[in-house]
Amino acid sequence: MNKSLSLDRRKIVYFISDNGFIVIFLLWCLFLTIRTEGHFLSGGNLSTVLRQATIIGIVAIGESLIVFLGSMDVSVASNLGLCAVVVAACLVDYSLPPLVAVLIALGVGALVGLVNGLLSTFVGINPIIATLGMMIILDGLGLNYTGGRTISGPEIDPIEFLYLDKVGPAPVPVILLFVAYAVAYFVMHHTMFGAHIYATGSNEKATWLSGIKTRRVRMYAFILSGLMAGFGGIVAAARRGSASAAMGGDFLFPILTIVILGGISLSGGRGHILKVLVAAVFLMSINNGLILLGSVEIEKQRVLSGAILIVALSLDRLRHMVG
Amino acid sequence: MAADVKLAINKVSKGFPGVQALDSVSFEIKSGHLHALVGENGAGKSTLIKILAAAAQRDSGHILLDGVPYNPRNPRDAFAAGISTIYQEFNLLLTRSVMSNVMLGKEPRRIPGIVDFKAMSLKTEEILATLKAGHIDVTAPVEELTVSEKQLVEIARALLNEATLFIMDEPTAALNRQEVNALFEVIAVLKARGATILYVSHRLEEIFQLADTVTVLRDGAHIRTAPIGEVTADSLITDMIGHRLEAVFPERNPSLGEEILRVEGLSTSAFTDVSFALRAGEVLAVTGVGGSGKTELGKALFGDFPIRAGQITVNGEAFRADPSSAIAAGVICVPEDRKVEGVIQNLDVKRNISLAMLGRVARLGVINRAAERAVAGAQVRDLGIKTPSLAQEVGNLSGGNQQKVALGKWLAAGARVFILMEPTQGIDVGVKFEVYELAARLSRKGAAIILISSELPEVLGLAHRVLVMRSGALAAELDGLTTDAEEILRHALGADQ
Repeated sequence: MNKSLSLDRRKIVYFISDNGFIVIFLLWCLFLTIRTEGHFLSGGNLSTVLRQATIIGIVAIGESLIVFLGSMDVSVASNLGLCAVVVAACLVDYSLPPLVAVLIALGVGALVGLVNGLLSTFVGINPIIATLGMMIILDGLGLNYTGGRTISGPEIDPIEFLYLDKVGPAPVPVILLFVAYAVAYFVMHHTMFGAHIYATGSNEKATWLSGIKTRRVRMYAFILSGLMAGFGGIVAAARRGSASAAMGGDFLFPILTIVILGGISLSGGRGHILKVLVAAVFLMSINNGLILLGSVEIEKQRVLSGAILIVALSLDRLRHMVG
Repeated sequence: MAADVKLAINKVSKGFPGVQALDSVSFEIKSGHLHALVGENGAGKSTLIKILAAAAQRDSGHILLDGVPYNPRNPRDAFAAGISTIYQEFNLLLTRSVMSNVMLGKEPRRIPGIVDFKAMSLKTEEILATLKAGHIDVTAPVEELTVSEKQLVEIARALLNEATLFIMDEPTAALNRQEVNALFEVIAVLKARGATILYVSHRLEEIFQLADTVTVLRDGAHIRTAPIGEVTADSLITDMIGHRLEAVFPERNPSLGEEILRVEGLSTSAFTDVSFALRAGEVLAVTGVGGSGKTELGKALFGDFPIRAGQITVNGEAFRADPSSAIAAGVICVPEDRKVEGVIQNLDVKRNISLAMLGRVARLGVINRAAERAVAGAQVRDLGIKTPSLAQEVGNLSGGNQQKVALGKWLAAGARVFILMEPTQGIDVGVKFEVYELAARLSRKGAAIILISSELPEVLGLAHRVLVMRSGALAAELDGLTTDAEEILRHALGADQ
């Protein structure tokens, strides 16, 4: 009797620590739908929420890989900002063709990831410290190039379709978001690379002793993290039609929030990539809901976002305490 | 009755799941004596030490310290009672200074809350001087000291605590000849101050040099306690081995093939100049006491321990020792610490088995899940791995079944040289014999096996040849069919010198 009771409690704790935020998310949606008399669920509003989730959602895929491995890349947002500047500069200052500009920006993002990977695997610096240093360097590089100006001009128009256009009823960024997550899901669950990420994040020594080059796995994860940050930067430039050195900073906190909220364990090896997508949508629906409800003050949004991160982290600990 | 009894151990028993580590052990340690404790691996020496140090609690029996019942609840109680244990793995704060370590918890103060560092360094220097260790810089962080200096810091701490019974667990295992002599001088100082010492060692020559009395344990039971003058190296070894019932081991593979692996002049920080060759279908056991270098030899062959010199060839080709190259060359290793290194606890049975060979069930990096399940399922059936499903997390299986998973992943991968490190440690008897059967089956199929083991019965029962290591060198190469436990122990303990 007693035993089965405690077992049930354990199951509930596991369910909450795994899925708690989804329950909160659904309750929030229900609450908003009632308060806004259905406006929250209208096609227009939903597509706004999803579009807003695109940039952080895409960059969070790369960050999730790093967190799966038990570390963290805090340079992703600054990398995003620099890549936005790079793509805008290529188009406006150097008049390069849009495709070339996009490829250069992606290349810069991946290169930053490569350097992060080298520093944290082969040089052996703690990844958080290495990427923190990288974050400062990237911010500095952006500022040095722009000198504080905002790069804008009609030359950016050719890439704006990435955020503004629609294919049928679906906005292009939402298509990008879903395709990116479909690919990420496939990679994590059906490929050797995904298996190696899970194994390395769970137990690097045992994985290495199984003949897997775990340092190489880490390198690839950092490169992909940089590449996705570059991709996010391009979409961010497309969204604003301009780029400035400071634009990356605002993204760091939401990206980390949704990765952790999505249940990617900070101690590595556990989590499901699709929950990060749900978390991205959830976070955007909070901001969206607060606007719909008429309390737009940014201060309130910040308090709520911070509280959600702490709740998510507490749920992560709950599993450790009971498990 | 020349000396008083310092410690009287009376019918002390301690059981762990599946094994009776101590079975009603009784003996006395006389005051001011150096009392040696010997026995094979698993004889119960460590358990007894842990009980005395209160790192473990006895199940039954009682102990008198200076004639008073001794019932410590935790290591602090033991320390307060004057019993200091110097383990092989030191209990030191590595980044803190020598004096902070020696005076830990007893820091001198002039004003409450403010440590008087001057008094602290003077006091520490004074204690170290009595141990003839005045050369140690009391302000240096402990991590910069040598092993023998760290040991002295531990002893100094015990002295400051006015310990009267010192328990030393293999104190010379990691020391060089000169350091051993220095330690013996310290032991002489301690004895001159009237201290009693319980001394655990595998090195019989030391015991004859130092001990007043010796106790032999075997399989958790007390065999003999006698003055050192009444025993010989041979009689000690006989007491340690006893006359065990011979277990039934599978028959050895009678037909050995071509040479498959050759090791020449291999040296690492743990052993030097090891050479041997291995033939297909052969079982080669490598044995020795803790610190002999056998574990590191197994790891070095697989690239898990840095090699300083020497070379390894597999099928005549030079071999680069790192796990992925080793596996590609058909050399695999089942590590000693299976829970941490052999399996990945939070991955499922299927993925643990397939992990090392995913490339073979994948095309262009995409895993064929049906093929992966088939490969893992075959091993689960062949090895009789008890698991509710292939999707079960390995952490939920028993130790024996985890070991089967750790083995199964290499059977699936199809290796030619198996390095098995202590493959039956901590698993129950039934699974043990399944592991033996498996090893014999592999060797009949032409695989070569390097069995790194401290368990003499399995070494004698399985091996064609036995390499005995001692203090980082090969001490002997013996024929597995004709040798016996006595001969192996003689070489492993250095009783032949």
